[in-house]
Amino acid sequence: MALSLSNYLICFVLTFCSLAEAATRVYNFTAEWVRANPDGLFERPVIGINGQWPLPRIEVIVGDRLIVNLNNNLGNQSTSIHFHGLFMNGTSHMDGVVGTTQCGVPPGGSFTYNFTVNQAGSYLYHSHLDGQYPDGFRGPLIVQDPESPYNNRYDEELVITLSDWYHDEMPGLIKRFLSVTNPTGAEPVPNSALMNDTQNLQIQVQPGKTYLMRFINMAAFAAQYLWIEGHTFRIVEVDGVWTEEAEADLIYVSAAQRYSVLLTAKNDTSTNFAINGAMDADLFDKFPEGLNPNVTSFLVYDPSAPMPTPSLVDEYNEFDDHMLVPYDREPLLENPDYSFKLDVKMDNLGDGVNYAFMNDITYVRPKVPSLFTVLTTGAEASNPAIYGVNTNTFVLEQNQVIEIILNNHDPGKHPFHLHGHNFQCVVRGEENSNDYNPENVTLPEIPMKRDTWVVRPNGHIVMRFRADNPGVWLFHCHIEWHVDSGLTVTFVEAPLELQSSLSIPANHYAACNAANAYPKFQTQGNAAGRTTDLLNLEGAHVSPPPLPEGFTARGIVALVFSILAALLGIAAVIWYGVGELAQTEQASGMERVGVITEK
Amino acid sequence: MADVFAVPVFFIVFRETLETSLVVSILLAFLRQQIGPDQDAKTYKKLRKQVWLGTGTGLALCIMIGAGIIGAFYGLGRNTWSGSELIWEGVFAIVASLIISVMGAALLRVSKLQAKWRVKLAKALEAKDNKTSTMRSRFKTWCERYAMFILPFITILREGLEAVVFIGGVGLGLKASSIPLAVVCGLIAGALIGYLVYRGGMYAPIRIFLIASTCVLYLVAAGLMSRGVWFLEANTWNVLTGGDAAEGGNGAGTYDIRQSVWHVNCCSPSLNGGGGWGVFNSVFGWQNSATYGSVISYNLYWLAVIVAFVTMRYREQNSHWPLMRLPSRGPQGLPRTQSDSSGGGEIVGKGAGFEEGTKVAVRKVDAS
Repeated sequence: MALSLSNYLICFVLTFCSLAEAATRVYNFTAEWVRANPDGLFERPVIGINGQWPLPRIEVIVGDRLIVNLNNNLGNQSTSIHFHGLFMNGTSHMDGVVGTTQCGVPPGGSFTYNFTVNQAGSYLYHSHLDGQYPDGFRGPLIVQDPESPYNNRYDEELVITLSDWYHDEMPGLIKRFLSVTNPTGAEPVPNSALMNDTQNLQIQVQPGKTYLMRFINMAAFAAQYLWIEGHTFRIVEVDGVWTEEAEADLIYVSAAQRYSVLLTAKNDTSTNFAINGAMDADLFDKFPEGLNPNVTSFLVYDPSAPMPTPSLVDEYNEFDDHMLVPYDREPLLENPDYSFKLDVKMDNLGDGVNYAFMNDITYVRPKVPSLFTVLTTGAEASNPAIYGVNTNTFVLEQNQVIEIILNNHDPGKHPFHLHGHNFQCVVRGEENSNDYNPENVTLPEIPMKRDTWVVRPNGHIVMRFRADNPGVWLFHCHIEWHVDSGLTVTFVEAPLELQSSLSIPANHYAACNAANAYPKFQTQGNAAGRTTDLLNLEGAHVSPPPLPEGFTARGIVALVFSILAALLGIAAVIWYGVGELAQTEQASGMERVGVITEK
Repeated sequence: MADVFAVPVFFIVFRETLETSLVVSILLAFLRQQIGPDQDAKTYKKLRKQVWLGTGTGLALCIMIGAGIIGAFYGLGRNTWSGSELIWEGVFAIVASLIISVMGAALLRVSKLQAKWRVKLAKALEAKDNKTSTMRSRFKTWCERYAMFILPFITILREGLEAVVFIGGVGLGLKASSIPLAVVCGLIAGALIGYLVYRGGMYAPIRIFLIASTCVLYLVAAGLMSRGVWFLEANTWNVLTGGDAAEGGNGAGTYDIRQSVWHVNCCSPSLNGGGGWGVFNSVFGWQNSATYGSVISYNLYWLAVIVAFVTMRYREQNSHWPLMRLPSRGPQGLPRTQSDSSGGGEIVGKGAGFEEGTKVAVRKVDAS
């Protein structure tokens, strides 16, 4: 355990040496299957990089060019990398979303991600294809900030990833999840929780020193309540946004959220303390017997002292992230130019499977990645219709102030994530507050900003951002199951500007055109792959038809037949009842008497 | 209102009582008409006692088992039937359906016998000391002798336990104080209808009453057959989905779309006691979510009923089964008929049962 700790300590000297000028950092990643048993309960195949799992941390400095050369050595699955939280300004095609900004990198294929990082903070990278990343393909990405307001406030930095963990592999789990026999859409429940992709990790700290702890939740599903006994966090960053310092005893980190906190070690070295992560069991449809939803690491002051047993808490009083104030104190974006509602619900379609919907549309991948559609459809690219009904596309004009009003009609929590932007967190309704009603609501002057935000069960959230980043960006729930069941919309931002500024490297087309490309995509035209008659979407991928309402022709025929059968049956009973017995039959009564009485 | 009277519980008890009391009252009315206190009071009383004994034993047994279930349910906090209750209900429903069907045909047929034969038959069945040769015929005789016990016994056991399971299901969310009055009212309402049917049997023309009540029995039995299949299918679906779909309401996901013939998101006979739809279900086998299995079994049941009655009447008219040339028991049967022909005439004067039918029989006998 102590060994793996060194992986997560950052040597500051090195970082400062390379401060002077922007560098190009190259990572050569070969994705391949390796075996791992991070919870000590079950060894399974996981997606490793260069033969290793947990995955290496990507570390860059603000202003750096980051190049990731991805080789897919998985053999049986396509893949991609999404750099979660990075805006990809000017490089929308590097966002890594299969079906939106690229085709999948097929087995044996390679793909180069090449972009400049202009944001500081804590991020993660993960594949963005078919719910693949929970099989292991997710890792931390840290961007150091030479101009961080907190640079002189801490001595060392610690990166702690959180995750849930499944013993089964995603393709099988997804198949069972999206099945007629799972009509309630019950999400598979994780088998374990992890910290730094292990459990019971001992993290050595020096008395009196202050640490910047970066918590990154890389989970597929479960949020974690997180606290360190005997210590208080001072939150300074959420999702790459520096905040004014805020004290918290316990934080709630949803899937894909990040928190950086300052934590000052005690001067007393006699006792060690538990770092507790507890998966939010409210998310689970049912609580399986034997599941340990908690994961513990230790803040170690004295390795020879015993490791504490985590104490129980009665109630989670988590810090309300809506209270945070961004360090840049950016004021509320006033007077949105384009405001729209997204109503979230879960429902079953005609195939009996439970899907997730926004505005009654469940996301289905188009035949042409939406970014390719933007670049190949000329002036029509501003018409959301050409992206296909089931991409649920909204076209945003450049520099508009956008307001999203998301009403959650589902009794579950959902961490919504926007690609390509941070958004201002303007309003969040409490649980069961129902739809957003703008009357009598005072908006904050300086709203919190982040890129992943949790809407409460049957509550609502209102977000604003400026459409200053031309590209194609998804907005989706970051629970991977809900991505699989379609809880995604597409924002096509400044498509005409994109056409003039963006050109896609040949490398990207190679992935689309590979003989073993899967899923198959075309690279031109509307969502149906048509290059002329762009408003004709015939042949585009669409969701299954809705469940039939009430009686269909089949049901009416069956009911009529049943009634007819009953009437005929009754007629037969009556007909028999009024009929007379022939003499011989009268006698048979006596015969029966005879049979019984004769011995 | 909700504190003292749980409407769902009322409907559950009412529908289950209704089904039971229909069966019991039809049997009692049948005995009264066909054997009758004025013909053979002793046999009549014995058979009537059987009916009540079956009802009482069934009731006692289901109260005992029910108390155990409810005790486990509230005491141990777990539904001991969950997982198997649908199988249990399905099998019992099918068995009850078959028993009612056979009994219904038998009652109708016996009613066509001349009163004398009927009474003799009943008396013969009463005699305990007879021993017939084969196991099979002994079993048949046993069934015939105790039919008046078996039918109410099985019916009440099934309906009673179903009521207990259902009440256990909905009762969890109800105040305990709201249950007793609802149960009593349900019992009274169900029994009252049964009693009215019985009384009606005394005033209505005998034959019409008997045919009509047999029709009701067959409607109930057809519904039971369809429900039995439906219960088994619902069990399969619950196993597949790993949950109790029926308790999830009546919307999408509570049924297997692959098996669905029709589904309306309302009118569920099981949700919250089912209300009027529950009564509709227990009398006619209504389902808001019909499956291929439940529809096909319902139709096949009626097909079987039609074929059976047509065949029976054919045999009664022709003294042999359809498609069989020779009367199967002509040599033995005919002489007896001859020898008994004089007895047929005596009954006419007494006027019990079927005057017309008897006259026809007499005429035929005379003609021969």
